[in-house]
Amino acid sequence: MEDLLAYLHFVVLPQFIDALIIGVALALVALGLTMIFGLLDVINLAHGELYMLGGYAAFTLLGWGAGYWSALVLVPVLVGLVGWALEELGIRPLLPRADRAIVTLLFTFGVSLIFRDIAQVIWGTETRSVAAPLTGIANLAQVFVPIYRIFVFGAGVLAIAVTWWLVYRTQIGAVLRATAVDPSMVASFGIPIRLVYGFTFLYGCGLAGLAGVLLSPIYAVFPTMGHDFLVMAFAVVIVGGMGSIIGAVVAALLLAQVQGLASLWIPPVWAETLVYGVMLLVLVIRPAGLFNRLGEA
Amino acid sequence: MLQAQQQAQTTDIESRPAGTVAGRLLRAVRSGGSNSTLLRQIALVSLLLAAIFPLFGGSFFTRLAIEALLFGCIALSVDILLGYAGLLSLGQAAYFGLAAYVAALMYLHVTQSFWLVLLTASASVGVFSFLLGAVAIRAKGVYFALITFGVAEILSKITHNTRAIGGSDGLIGIPVPSIRLLPGLEIEFANNYVFYYLVLGTVCLLYLGTRRILNTAFGSVLRAIRDNSDRVPYLGYNPFWYKLLAYVMAAQIAAFGGLIYPLLRGFVAPHLFGFEVSTKAVVMSLVGGVGTLIGPLMGSVIITFLESVVGSYTERHLILLGIIFIVFVMFLPDGLCGLAQRTFGAGRKVKP
Amino acid sequence: MIRVIDLSKSFGALRAVNHLSFEAMPNCITSIIGPNGAGKSTAFNLIAGTLRPDSGRVELEGHDVTGEPAYRLAKLGVARSFQITNLFFGLSVLENVRFACQSLESRNRFLTRLDRLSAPVRRATEILEEFGLDESADQLVGNLSHGDQRRVEIAICMALTPRVLMLDEPTQGMSPAETAEIDTLIKSLAGRVTVLLIEHDIDLVMNISDHVIVMHQGRKLFEGPPNEVRASPAVREAYLGAEHAAA
Repeated sequence: MEDLLAYLHFVVLPQFIDALIIGVALALVALGLTMIFGLLDVINLAHGELYMLGGYAAFTLLGWGAGYWSALVLVPVLVGLVGWALEELGIRPLLPRADRAIVTLLFTFGVSLIFRDIAQVIWGTETRSVAAPLTGIANLAQVFVPIYRIFVFGAGVLAIAVTWWLVYRTQIGAVLRATAVDPSMVASFGIPIRLVYGFTFLYGCGLAGLAGVLLSPIYAVFPTMGHDFLVMAFAVVIVGGMGSIIGAVVAALLLAQVQGLASLWIPPVWAETLVYGVMLLVLVIRPAGLFNRLGEA
Repeated sequence: MLQAQQQAQTTDIESRPAGTVAGRLLRAVRSGGSNSTLLRQIALVSLLLAAIFPLFGGSFFTRLAIEALLFGCIALSVDILLGYAGLLSLGQAAYFGLAAYVAALMYLHVTQSFWLVLLTASASVGVFSFLLGAVAIRAKGVYFALITFGVAEILSKITHNTRAIGGSDGLIGIPVPSIRLLPGLEIEFANNYVFYYLVLGTVCLLYLGTRRILNTAFGSVLRAIRDNSDRVPYLGYNPFWYKLLAYVMAAQIAAFGGLIYPLLRGFVAPHLFGFEVSTKAVVMSLVGGVGTLIGPLMGSVIITFLESVVGSYTERHLILLGIIFIVFVMFLPDGLCGLAQRTFGAGRKVKP
Repeated sequence: MIRVIDLSKSFGALRAVNHLSFEAMPNCITSIIGPNGAGKSTAFNLIAGTLRPDSGRVELEGHDVTGEPAYRLAKLGVARSFQITNLFFGLSVLENVRFACQSLESRNRFLTRLDRLSAPVRRATEILEEFGLDESADQLVGNLSHGDQRRVEIAICMALTPRVLMLDEPTQGMSPAETAEIDTLIKSLAGRVTVLLIEHDIDLVMNISDHVIVMHQGRKLFEGPPNEVRASPAVREAYLGAEHAAA
């Protein structure tokens, strides 16, 4: 009994806390993906590269002597603007097409290839590290957690809370939710849909940028980081239900735990495979995911 | 003017005795949808160019052309699904990779008989595609794309993580066997030119066979499914079986490419299952023209050569691929065949 | 011909169809009318296999066909049209009708080359002539006028040589002249096929129906020949009352 408690305390609990932090960051990336899909029917395959861009932007800004805290504010805005430009220049002209789900997916895939290669041209292929602004380790009931990770967790939770508040408690959110259900209806109220779509991209991609900055001191920055993370974020969005805000958060926390805890007992590479297994299982049993789409209650 | 010429050509073909092999082949090439005349000409010109290519190509480019044809098989299989059944598969490389691994393992550990390997690879892909298809086809729209994507990703991870089948290094040193085509007639894969014409011939047969199958009642159901899947059941067809059959058939074609690949390169690796290969196949069909069958094969040749040429100057060839991708998605959604049709063709517009 | 027994369907708390029973007599025109939200379309979807009922039965010539999928019902001789035009817009008119005719071919002609499969083309051509669509045979359905599209909708149903033809607001969005044409068309079909019709145009319904079922809030309020329906005070109150309230 004592052994079990000790095992839970010193082996399982630290892993749980680690996975919780990853889960929150994952939720930030997945939130953007799911919002964009919910409103525009667009699967943004470049989303992972925007997350990567967030990491590199932080690395560059810090290299120029900017402080971490100013990067934390600036980078999401920059990445958001890149996302907004993508929407404005590439996605919008494709939306009237009947097969828009497919063509926008292909378009964003093309963008992801370009971004990934540009990153290698500018920053090289080697892994770049970013110094954490907070050092020190907290002792939470004998579990030692770096303070920066606690900060990441807090910042992530705050961003998720703000997103939730924005979508469900504000006028903008009401417009977003209405647009997800029936854009032509919203347009008939005289609300410019293009601004709604632009904002969705700006905000969603900004979240990916934020995740990029937050995680860069933990995982460092490298060109394929976006791709690896995107596949995981997709699993999250699929499990949570494409277009569901709550689903993205719940599934991100859940899958991060599946991966984190499973890797206690099976090799970590197989834990990752297990996550996709869970995703597939959900797709088979409930193809539309665990939660409903934005606007459908 | 052009129309009249085409007319003359058509009657010319028809007046030939139907019994000869040439006559039959010509008729097979000829059959097709309403806008088939130009596509037929494109196909014939491509075949002609492909047939004389090794005379100029040299052995490096001949081998590259073989690779283009093998990847063309994945593009063709993407096109069957996207261009005819309206299903976007982001995981067609799964079947290419599966066949490649099965073939490699068979050659390394079990047998040198090409036919036995063909049978095993084809059967395993058949079973796998049937099971996965039955699950994936129930999901609608983008979910189909996501499921196929997910499964290919899992297969890629599994091969990557399994030491017994080479892990991340893949399998190397696959022996190059010879095929007994007929008793007494052995074909050596070691000879590049023999290899090339063998693959070219088989890909032609696959193309013609696909064309023939899609130009039937079965094919017309697929086209209706692409146009309006929800209406099909009310006319007495169960779309599920038609889509599943198309899916299994497409998987077999991709598998053929994978089956030959280890013989060409002598190795297999997890990246053959990967997202890059799957999506590249989508780019290839997009560049050539979705729904044309010949387009994807052309697209594969273009992309493979472009990548190789650009790749010899810089490692950053993904940018080029991405730009081509975006240009075609945004400005040339019906691909090069569509462009040709608009430039030379009179009459109907290509279906997207 | 087709009999509905005690059919019910709920969506959440909403009882869309509530213990509905009726019978459509062979080769007659039976119409279902009722104010918006009365459950007509849901009833249609339950009969045609689009939705599964929660309880109750649907019988076709005495055989239980409850919950059969749409493609099997179509094979059994139930053809339906849709309120919102639902066709193969990227295919030509002839291809649309030919495709419907082709489903009658035996399964072993599945891999016959299309140009050797001549029976469906022949029949499709006949149907196009009958429906006055032969002029536009080669046009894409997407390029037709709304009225012609509605006509193609009925044509592909008839191409299935159905025993029961279910029409969901066939005159929806049509001009009075076009409505009159559809009126004549449907009348000419009766006698060959059992027609089950949902329609908003009350004049049309009263003019062509043999039997009318009035639905209100998911239930059957009244049924009888048109003149009795017209005379019924209950119908007038529910139907016109609701219509006025909606207006």
